Amino acid sequence: MLAKRIQPMASQAKRLYVELMFQVMGRALQAVSEVDSEVQGEARVLPEGFLFEMMVMPEGSRLIVEHIGNGRFHYHGDSAPRPVDVSIKFKHLTHAFLVLSFQEKTSVAFANDRMLVDGDVSYAVRMTRVLNRLEAFILPKIIAERAVKEYPANLHLPEKLISAAQIYLKVATHFVQTVRA
Amino acid sequence: MSNTYYEFFCPVKVIAGKAALEHIPYELSALGAKRPMVVTDKGVRAAGLLDPVIAACEESGLEIVNIYDDVPPDSSTTVVRDIAAVYRKEKCDSIIAIGGGSAIDTGKAVNILVSEGGDDIAKYSGAGVLKRPLKPFLVVPTTAGTGSEVTSIAVITDEKKGVKLPFTSSYLLPNAAVIDPRMTLTLPPHITAATAMDAMTHAVESFTCMAKNPLSDAYATAAIKKVSRSLLQVMDNPKDSDGRLELAQASTMAGIAFSNSMVGLVHSLGHATGAICHLPHGLCMSLYLPYVLEYNLETIREPLSELLLHLEGPEVYAATPASRRAEASISALRKLRDALYKRCKLPRTLKETGKVTEDQLDQIAEMALDDGSIMFNPKEVTLKDARAVLQRAWA
Repeated sequence: MLAKRIQPMASQAKRLYVELMFQVMGRALQAVSEVDSEVQGEARVLPEGFLFEMMVMPEGSRLIVEHIGNGRFHYHGDSAPRPVDVSIKFKHLTHAFLVLSFQEKTSVAFANDRMLVDGDVSYAVRMTRVLNRLEAFILPKIIAERAVKEYPANLHLPEKLISAAQIYLKVATHFVQTVRA
Repeated sequence: MSNTYYEFFCPVKVIAGKAALEHIPYELSALGAKRPMVVTDKGVRAAGLLDPVIAACEESGLEIVNIYDDVPPDSSTTVVRDIAAVYRKEKCDSIIAIGGGSAIDTGKAVNILVSEGGDDIAKYSGAGVLKRPLKPFLVVPTTAGTGSEVTSIAVITDEKKGVKLPFTSSYLLPNAAVIDPRMTLTLPPHITAATAMDAMTHAVESFTCMAKNPLSDAYATAAIKKVSRSLLQVMDNPKDSDGRLELAQASTMAGIAFSNSMVGLVHSLGHATGAICHLPHGLCMSLYLPYVLEYNLETIREPLSELLLHLEGPEVYAATPASRRAEASISALRKLRDALYKRCKLPRTLKETGKVTEDQLDQIAEMALDDGSIMFNPKEVTLKDARAVLQRAWA
């Protein structure tokens, strides 16, 4: 009986958590592309105007970023100005929650068929590398190791701390600007 | 409770063994088809491999309405459109693809056009675009390696845009795969070796990569056992029809395994090498397999150790200390490659191919990093890592 009452609340909490994480990740993707040369190098290969989406099927939360050139991303929130080029779709809210709460690595989620790729697979692979790099920066090592296949051996604490501080500052600034707008 | 999860799907009816071709008329009639079209290539026709199929159909009063035998090694959107036009003109109602990977992929793509309508195959490219079953479709493989007869993917080149279009849907799977040893009996030694090593690689990567699962493991280990036991026997006695059937079945089993568990870095490097240096896929697989296993070794020690049983048999497995079994599995594969080199000069290094230059390695590494299969490799791969594997595979 109690479980039946709790379930809708748990589901709503998951939904809100996933939505919040998408908002953080979208802004963080924009931020990391402004501070990290490796991410810029990955992004430069993408066509200018390239739109990337992560979403929960069928019509759940989503994040959309655009490659605006020179390796920089721009976060568009949850609406795309035109059809997206690559979409990574979680089949269910629970699957998105497993990944975004770091209970399941992104690579394991792909292997477990939790997600579908719609669009050019090579670009999706590239964006996954960018997401892994971002997670390695912004998460404490012990959590990042649960999120990525392999924590980058060449990412040392000073670089991580400085980059993470820059990214979080930019994310916070973007949140404030969004609220003010 | 275990947090593991997997999916497994293979609805293809496998018709395998002696006189399997003679089941084609019955299978088509069971699907309500009376006017099949054969899609094949000139090599298959020249080797006389169509004759038993035609005879099998004629004996059952089934007329093959049209035979399109001009599928090129790298099939294109134009070829698919042309074949679909012939299919419609001749009022065919089903397709039999006879050949290797290209003929089978072409058959799958033609089936999309004749079932869904239109002339532009490109608009069906991608995953999950098809929403309903297609026309009756049978596949008769003439090589033992690709496993295309049980995979739900086709790749067709768009000549105008110069890109390869992938098509993925469970509706691309044939209704039946007909595995008859007569169809591989005349394969030349180097193709027998390369395609068998393709099947071996499908099975080994399936068993050691991230999406492995208990069902794909069962198919993978059975395939590895069959290739290990039969390949050299067939190389020494090409007319050994039992051995040929074993290899053909191994190819199908490895195909079922990898289409449900995906593959890893061997395929990423192989796809890139094929695209840049135009080396045959099976050859690339054979070439890279041990080097990639060495790279992944510490991540896959347990499953790789287990493979020794299927590669070398119970006596060698029992006599090898548990801590050395993973390395022994790699040695067994190297030994097999050496034996193939001795018999048909199947290259073991990039240098031995004579078609790759050392300055192409960076380009191969970069392209491999963007290949979809790299996602399923058990160990993370950076550009530096890929370059290091290629350097080891160089000479």
